[in-house]
Amino acid sequence: MFYDIIERSLKLCSRYGFNEFEVYVVDDVSTEVLGSDKGVERVVSGEEFLVGIRVVMGRKVCVYGGMVSRVEDVDVLVNSAFKIVRTLPEDREWVSLPKKLGSSVVEGIVDVGIKDLELDKYVELVNYMIKKPKDIDRRAFTTNTSIYLTYVRRVITNSYGGVVEDEKTRASISVNVKVVDGSDESGYSESYSASNLSRFNPDELVVKAVEGAVRGLRSRRVNTGSYEVVLMPRVFTSLINSLIAPALCADQVQRGRSPLKGMLGFKVFSENITIVDDGTYPGMLGSKRFDDEGIPTKRKVLIDKGMLMNYLYDTYTANIDSKESTGNAFRPTPHTVPKPWISNIIVDRGNYDLDTIVRELRNGLVIYDVIGMWLSNPVSGLLNATVANAVYVDRGEVKHSVKGVVITGDVYDLLKTDEVVLTSNKEVLGRYEVPAIYIPRISIAGEG
Amino acid sequence: MITTYEELTSLALEEALKIGANHVLVRIQEKLYEVITYDCGVLKGYSVGRVSGLGIRVLVNGGVGYVYTTSLNRESIVGSIKRAVSIARSLSRYGRIEYVDIKPVKDFFKVDIKVDPYNIDPEVKVGLVKEVNTSSMKKDGIKSVITRLAYEVDRRYVVSSDGVNVGGEVTLVGFSHTAVAKYGMTSEKVSNSKTFVGGYEFIESNDWLLFADEVDKLAIKTSQAKTPTPGTYVAVLDNEAVGLLIHEAFGHASEGDLVITGSSVLRGMVGERVASELITIVDEGIVNGGYPVPYDDEGVSKGRTVVVKDGILNEFLSSRYVGGRLGCGSTGNARVQDITYDSVVRQTNYYVEPKDLSIDELFDGISYGIYIVGRGTSGGEVDPSIGTYTFSIGPSYIVRDGEPTELVRGVVVSGNILETLMSVDAVAKDLKVITNVFGGCGKDGQTVRVGFGGPHIRVRKLVVGGL
Repeated sequence: MFYDIIERSLKLCSRYGFNEFEVYVVDDVSTEVLGSDKGVERVVSGEEFLVGIRVVMGRKVCVYGGMVSRVEDVDVLVNSAFKIVRTLPEDREWVSLPKKLGSSVVEGIVDVGIKDLELDKYVELVNYMIKKPKDIDRRAFTTNTSIYLTYVRRVITNSYGGVVEDEKTRASISVNVKVVDGSDESGYSESYSASNLSRFNPDELVVKAVEGAVRGLRSRRVNTGSYEVVLMPRVFTSLINSLIAPALCADQVQRGRSPLKGMLGFKVFSENITIVDDGTYPGMLGSKRFDDEGIPTKRKVLIDKGMLMNYLYDTYTANIDSKESTGNAFRPTPHTVPKPWISNIIVDRGNYDLDTIVRELRNGLVIYDVIGMWLSNPVSGLLNATVANAVYVDRGEVKHSVKGVVITGDVYDLLKTDEVVLTSNKEVLGRYEVPAIYIPRISIAGEG
Repeated sequence: MITTYEELTSLALEEALKIGANHVLVRIQEKLYEVITYDCGVLKGYSVGRVSGLGIRVLVNGGVGYVYTTSLNRESIVGSIKRAVSIARSLSRYGRIEYVDIKPVKDFFKVDIKVDPYNIDPEVKVGLVKEVNTSSMKKDGIKSVITRLAYEVDRRYVVSSDGVNVGGEVTLVGFSHTAVAKYGMTSEKVSNSKTFVGGYEFIESNDWLLFADEVDKLAIKTSQAKTPTPGTYVAVLDNEAVGLLIHEAFGHASEGDLVITGSSVLRGMVGERVASELITIVDEGIVNGGYPVPYDDEGVSKGRTVVVKDGILNEFLSSRYVGGRLGCGSTGNARVQDITYDSVVRQTNYYVEPKDLSIDELFDGISYGIYIVGRGTSGGEVDPSIGTYTFSIGPSYIVRDGEPTELVRGVVVSGNILETLMSVDAVAKDLKVITNVFGGCGKDGQTVRVGFGGPHIRVRKLVVGGL
């Protein structure tokens, strides 16, 4: 059915006389194993065919698509797109679809163990992650855990004649652990997300979840005030994803919704911060051979020693700025309009050992987890998040755990000073490979 | 060739029972979602998406398998059934899942619409969005504007081997406007949207230029506003802010699946005080302004569930599986985003019941506090296991001597939901429940439409963050 859909879509689009057209077809086979404290609960599995048709008449553009139940459903999609596109106003910024499609060589994006799924193996793994916390700490238990595995085939072709095709696997594994100690309790989750399972270690995952839950016991708020903080890689990742990544996307820059507009070539962060986007990085979650409109992925430096070097482009935004696409077109589903987004973000490591940084804190927090970072405002750069798992450090000594206080600040002020330093250790977290970061001053709303 | 949902469900039920399933549930869905987006005077997208397919859940000796397919031919459906039964049989050795009994029911629910949005000429819809968007772009101080018009038609059927045969078709339409204003070095974004359960008549009967103008003016004022001083405030929360707080911070904790896994701060607290005696919280399938859920995605009737009665925790939300583990029936809260997911316990229309005070009376006696306004709120996040929450709130107001005064931006509130609800000391009479065609509630990777709201309430202590 996969190739029948492509063939039929191409034939129909050619017949309708569009000036340009693009066909994007995805075959997604997914399986999820879910477990709770009571054991393995269920398996959800299935296959879906998704089609996106982008058609252009003059400078009028329409995207239509969705799930396809039968090959003949394509007729409805193309016909509907035809009916709509004729009535639309012209997009004066439209130039063209990508005129040359292509692929990069990317390693580690197909895991045979995911593609040729041995279900029993993963059911056993979930069962293991349910039982393991008790072996580490008798106060701990798994509240829920899941393994989500996907095998995806994609084809993109357009009226300029190019065709690109790839396959990719993805694994997302999570475990949530709770620790109960008398009347006190604490929870923590750990996860693994990548294109393959080569780095996955269930013991390590569960141990870190148990350690996090134990660390959160007997927490209390600190007083409202200004503190030094260390954002552990998970929190720094969340900050980049919510505040910096959107501001680097060309569509946001062009529409005046990025504080980084007009800042190319200027210092925007500490000279200790270098950020790279790399869709070709082996085995990471966002690694793939081409982006969601068929442009080869590649490596590009976004922030070099604090200086803004590049924005992220898809074809549409690149045409507006008379540039080449950076291979960063992103579509959550084939029938949505592409827009620029990150592939994988790599932050250069620093020279400092985490323990050394913590020992030198005078009045600070080491923050392991937050909630609500995504509520921060990338248009203004205003960071807001609530601490969910942290420790308070007084003159180098860990005093107690902290949660429920709010960290706030302008991210471009917080990260601009060269007093900001990064650790030498990094973590891979889905699409991000980042170290921990020390920030000398941040505003915290807590008690009083 | 299979052409009707009756043929599809009959085939699925018969095949699954024939090869050993003890219980079978079939879901069929057809959905259309259209969104038109104008961004800074340019038509950024005319996008239409369809969902169509079938999901089948089988129970075999206590094991559960759920398999979905978007290919609606006999071969794919029979293959999916065999796989579901095989998975369920395999899982039966890890434990035994049971579903509580429910009443067999046959029904079909359809939202009445006067004007079908599908039949409106695309040129007319695009023209409206363009007019509103380009008009806003001309205003001094406005730097960026996104305007959207969307509608969705979601038709679902749920059929089970124990007598459920229900269906429904819900149509939503909505209009959304986001303006970014810049003042000096400060850019601030303000959004608002309106959603209606029904047809395009809603779009035709409203003045969207006026709606957008209010958003634009507020964005300009907000960009010139200060952030509040961080600290603890006496706060009055408006309807939307209350709805968001209750849905996110309390509602999720009252979902029974989190309770049975020890992931809710409310577990073991039925019969105990969890809020001020002024607080009664309800989850209800059909509420004026909310998202209609007459039946959940297990085909269970969704009536009215009183979760908290006068401050005392009364009942959790449940599904057929969770209800069994909690030792109660299903409250009709098993919901799915679409057929590619099996159901989890979700809220429907979750709100605080009104009392009898006027809104003005809530402000009386506040010498210094904050008026939290939910319009344009980015959303919230909660850790239901401990009740910690955080919300990014839209432009709000400092309260001085009983009156809302200067506007403040960048307001973030956080706290522990039980402490917050315990400190409620006044509830107004102005109940309002809303839903949203542009978004919904996320859980376990699924998004479903919900309704949320309540009356204005006053909280004695609320932690507010700011610069």
